[in-house]
Amino acid sequence: MADISLDTVSKSFGGIKVIDGISLEMKSGEFVVFLGPSGSGKSTLLRMIAGLETIDGGALTIDGKRSEHLAPGQREVAMVFQNYALYPHMTVRGNMAFGLKNIGMDKSEIDKRVEDAARILEMDALLDRRPAQLSGGQRQRVAIGRAIVKEPAAFLFDEPLSNLDAALRVRTRVELAELHQRMQSTMIYVTHDQTEAMTLADRIVVLNNCRIEQVGTPMDVYLYPATRFVAGFVGSPGMNFLNAELKGSGTDQCVTLGDGSRIALEIDVPAGPYDLGIRPEAVRVSAAPAATTGKAAVVERLGDRTLIHLHLEDGTELTALDSGRSNVVSGDAVHLEFDTSQLHLFDAEGIAHHAK
Amino acid sequence: MTPTTIRRINWMGGAFTILTVLIAVLWAFPIYWGIISSLKPENEVVRPYIELWPDTLTFEHYWFALTQTQIGKWYINSIATSVGVTVLTVSTSLFAGYAISQLRFPGRRVLWWLILASFMVPTQVLIINHFVLMANMSLLNSWAGIILPQLIHPVIVIVFKQFFDQVPKDFREAAAMDNASEWAVLFKIYIPMNWGVITALSIVTFIWAWNAFLWPFLAVTKTEMMTITVGITQVFDAFGVYYARQLSAAVLAGFPVALVYLVFQRRVTQAITLSAGIKG
Repeated sequence: MADISLDTVSKSFGGIKVIDGISLEMKSGEFVVFLGPSGSGKSTLLRMIAGLETIDGGALTIDGKRSEHLAPGQREVAMVFQNYALYPHMTVRGNMAFGLKNIGMDKSEIDKRVEDAARILEMDALLDRRPAQLSGGQRQRVAIGRAIVKEPAAFLFDEPLSNLDAALRVRTRVELAELHQRMQSTMIYVTHDQTEAMTLADRIVVLNNCRIEQVGTPMDVYLYPATRFVAGFVGSPGMNFLNAELKGSGTDQCVTLGDGSRIALEIDVPAGPYDLGIRPEAVRVSAAPAATTGKAAVVERLGDRTLIHLHLEDGTELTALDSGRSNVVSGDAVHLEFDTSQLHLFDAEGIAHHAK
Repeated sequence: MTPTTIRRINWMGGAFTILTVLIAVLWAFPIYWGIISSLKPENEVVRPYIELWPDTLTFEHYWFALTQTQIGKWYINSIATSVGVTVLTVSTSLFAGYAISQLRFPGRRVLWWLILASFMVPTQVLIINHFVLMANMSLLNSWAGIILPQLIHPVIVIVFKQFFDQVPKDFREAAAMDNASEWAVLFKIYIPMNWGVITALSIVTFIWAWNAFLWPFLAVTKTEMMTITVGITQVFDAFGVYYARQLSAAVLAGFPVALVYLVFQRRVTQAITLSAGIKG
């Protein structure tokens, strides 16, 4: 377990900046998820912590020790690769023991650690198999086992679930969460899958365009996105964005939508044009006339809930979430009500302002 | 697919099979002829018509080659020099291929282009230089003299580089996370993962070295230091034109290579395909 700190670290490939002065503190035992789209720099940042990419500028401290100049093997971190990178010619035992043999550890200690890790991951029976004889899920466990035996200061995961099928991914996700609870180790996990980020993280670091957009707990990031990018990236189905004009001040504020409808809200920003953001679950279908009316274009029934894709009178698209037993069918005119406490306004710079 | 087309394809297949069998027979006939002739008495060999089977079957020429020549020493020389060439060529090429593929050092690109460019220089062009060099180093008529100039095989470096290039970089990174030294990465990851190509290239290098004639012929003048391919010429020189004797020595010379080929057939084919692919 260790604190990890990044202090204005940067990285360029050729002339292209891929990490731009990022600073971040990760506490011992914390599960931190780097979340972002492809090309956001999340994997590069993880690899910089691992030592697989050099750090051009800034400082990396692991467990109080300046580490940016240390070789990967000396940083006391272990990494689980996206494609597992299990040595195909070695058995599971050989794969797990390789790193320990390289530091000249006693054979008895190696055997003990390998067997302990195998027990934790319930793969005692697989120790003498080779990676080719294992299923995707089993390989994934071996990759985690290889990290566990090192008893590292921190675990680094680079999209470890992306090669698993959907059902196995959910199961392994739960197992990873359990593993973290049991080991209480610092874990840094890179993913572009927001479900993984939301379910696993103590804190999510949302990255975009080589820099951090927001750091916060999953619910903070979900409920109070710092930027328009975070608001759009986190949450499925995604947040609705509508052109809106904020008018009034104090307790007399309201936004006017493109179709002319007005929604009263309380927010600490001056009047003017904004992008209004509202999550589908904050747009409710109402039996009686409400804030506005839309026409259902597509109705997606997901069993436990129903997604209704609507067009407002001015053509603005909007998605509403209704119960699983919703009676709405496509073509219906639907009255819509907004949960005004869940409204967000995004200014021209994309900075979020949250309704009270 | 209609029955007519099936029949047409079968006809095509049949014709193709017959053609390939005919070509195979044509190709194998000189080998058959050599072996059969080596089993005939000399007077039958020189008859002016083709006899596919000897009237009298005799092993006297083999007996002669084995007892009256220095074939035992030639075998030892061939084995020693071929093994030497194989071990040194494969190991140096493997290191060179690994360095060019995986390590980053100044001059890497230049080195790579030099190796590629050395393709353009046929061995024969260098043979006088080699001879003078070996003579100056007093290595003529020695195993080292036979081995050293035969160690230059850019094609093997290129094949190794390509194979090491194909190893996903994740393994190298995993090894780095596992505290592996550069030696450990090479010997414990890259070599075991490419064992197939190493074996294949070793076999094909051994066959090249065993069959080498021009250089060993120049580098050795003492009969007892000759390799078997050069030794065959001595059977001819010492006793005039005895075709059957010469052929029996040739069969004995080719026997180990044939054996290696039969045992490792699949690997040899693989290696030849690899190097042929490069030679284009």
